[in-house]
Amino acid sequence: MNDRQVLMRDLLVWFALTGWALALPAFGSDFVVSMALTCLMYVALSSSWGLFCGSTRYLSLATSAFFGIGAYTSALMLERTGWFEAIALGALVATAVAVVMGAAVLHLRGTYFAVLTFGMTELIRHAITYFEKSVTGTVGRVLTVVPERDTVYLTVLGLASATVALSIGVRRTRLGLALLGIGADEQRAQTLGVNTRWVKIVGFAMTAAVAGAVGAAMSVRWTYIDPHTVFNPFIGFQTVLIALIGGAVTLWGPLIAAVVFSLLAETLRLAAPQVYMMTLGLLLILSVLYLPGGLASLRWDTWKVWRDDMRAWWRTRRYEWNGDKARDKRLARERRLG
Amino acid sequence: MAESGNVLLEAREVTVRFGGLVAVDAVSASFRAGELVGIIGPNGAGKTTFFNALTGVQRPTSGRLVADGRDLTGAGPHRFAARGLARTFQTPRVFGDLSVAANIGFGLKFAGRRRRRWWLWGDEVGVPWALRDVAGILSLIGLSEQAALPAGALTPSQQRLLEIGMALSTRPRLLLLDEVAAGLTETELVDMARLIRRLRDELDLTVVWIEHAVTTLLRHVERVIVLHQGRKIADATPVEVVNDPEVIEAYLGDEMVDEALSRPSAETVAGAPERATRGGPP
Repeated sequence: MNDRQVLMRDLLVWFALTGWALALPAFGSDFVVSMALTCLMYVALSSSWGLFCGSTRYLSLATSAFFGIGAYTSALMLERTGWFEAIALGALVATAVAVVMGAAVLHLRGTYFAVLTFGMTELIRHAITYFEKSVTGTVGRVLTVVPERDTVYLTVLGLASATVALSIGVRRTRLGLALLGIGADEQRAQTLGVNTRWVKIVGFAMTAAVAGAVGAAMSVRWTYIDPHTVFNPFIGFQTVLIALIGGAVTLWGPLIAAVVFSLLAETLRLAAPQVYMMTLGLLLILSVLYLPGGLASLRWDTWKVWRDDMRAWWRTRRYEWNGDKARDKRLARERRLG
Repeated sequence: MAESGNVLLEAREVTVRFGGLVAVDAVSASFRAGELVGIIGPNGAGKTTFFNALTGVQRPTSGRLVADGRDLTGAGPHRFAARGLARTFQTPRVFGDLSVAANIGFGLKFAGRRRRRWWLWGDEVGVPWALRDVAGILSLIGLSEQAALPAGALTPSQQRLLEIGMALSTRPRLLLLDEVAAGLTETELVDMARLIRRLRDELDLTVVWIEHAVTTLLRHVERVIVLHQGRKIADATPVEVVNDPEVIEAYLGDEMVDEALSRPSAETVAGAPERATRGGPP
């Protein structure tokens, strides 16, 4: 497939998925819609995470910071402004924080970057807790203005859909190429004329804008929010895990993994919450060891290779235990003839 | 010819210090348009560090860098690339997952864009015809047949050619080559030297060429800068350099130069007079 055909395929899949999700509230039960909402939230979060962190290999753990900032902004603003203004404002504040944060830590690489983004998330969470306790004298806030179920669903669907479209688009621009070059060899990309500092800040800000908007839209799901709910590091971790298991560099990997995980989470969380976390960990280990490209890199050939590997392994075990009569016979004949 | 062109890059008293170690010690040098300059020096002389400083990869501790009349001291490598300074790395650093053509296309999309003129409908001004697009660069470096291969699948010597191609894709005026001939076979070496001559003669690029294998280098360059323990100890024609007692002292015991100096002059230094090699090491 050439580039154009890939683009057409991606757009068709995107269109079909969006249309399907659009129709869901019409026939789905409350439970199904709520599950789909979680699913769409993680599609948006991990697709946007993969857009920057996947291609540049800068592992950011700050998703929950941007999510929480968005959630708090909309919780504060919903009483005064409209729904979409609140979401836009959430995205805007998260972007602003990301630009400042990015300027401070994006020159670091690898573990240092990951740890610092996580540290900053905790810093923001504790700063807000402290501020609430000492200045306003309350912890958390109750959301009184809550829009319709379908409004929230359609907004998050719009965000997820826009994120995937953004991801399709950015891959084909100079920005996407620059991000890829930074992931492959940052210094080389610089000597070829990429202003890596700006590219990284823009990419990081894009991730943050999506996370902030999603946080702003999702805040109404809880009628009461406090720093521990919306700055929950688990949101950030799960985003990273989903993106990695799905294949962070790929377009559809995070989406596939997000769907799989939301379904898994809803079915397992009620029955056995610990089993869900264990499955998540196990899948991460397996995908890092045997499928570094993530679920999206699975092909029919991958299965064949695994099957052949298993067969070869089993054959050698069998010969070890039973001896290989056919091979012994063949060797004996060769010896006789040769 | 060497003296006629305007100065493209000038280093003034550039010093690079790593903790207590002075890797490059107040080196000044200037490179004029159309020159083919070599930089040599024993192991650890600071050649690559000086190169890194010249291209913004390593920020100099002190001193100034002026590229094309503009002070770029402390600027990032992309600013140097945008001013028409391109470099290769000693160990090829190609994008292994991308195809060979995409590797060339990368530079064309970033630093290589700068000479595009919108009022000429995207036509490019002042870009040599050979550097017009991916295909042109690929045929120049001789990798046209490998265009669709992933760059990681190339042989090391092909990767080195691709590395030069990537540098060319930024449409440079000054090309800095870091040990491009190291580890090549005799025939590959001849081809590489021919390519470098072509870049200078046909594309009018200024070439600065670092090499540890001095023999090849001295045969082709017009001017040699010798670094020793971070300092510049000579800056002259190849003939003068091989007769410089300080250079001989610095290189004493280095088998590469022993080899270079023990050869007949006509082979070692093109057009060198007979006495050129008389002052070789004992």
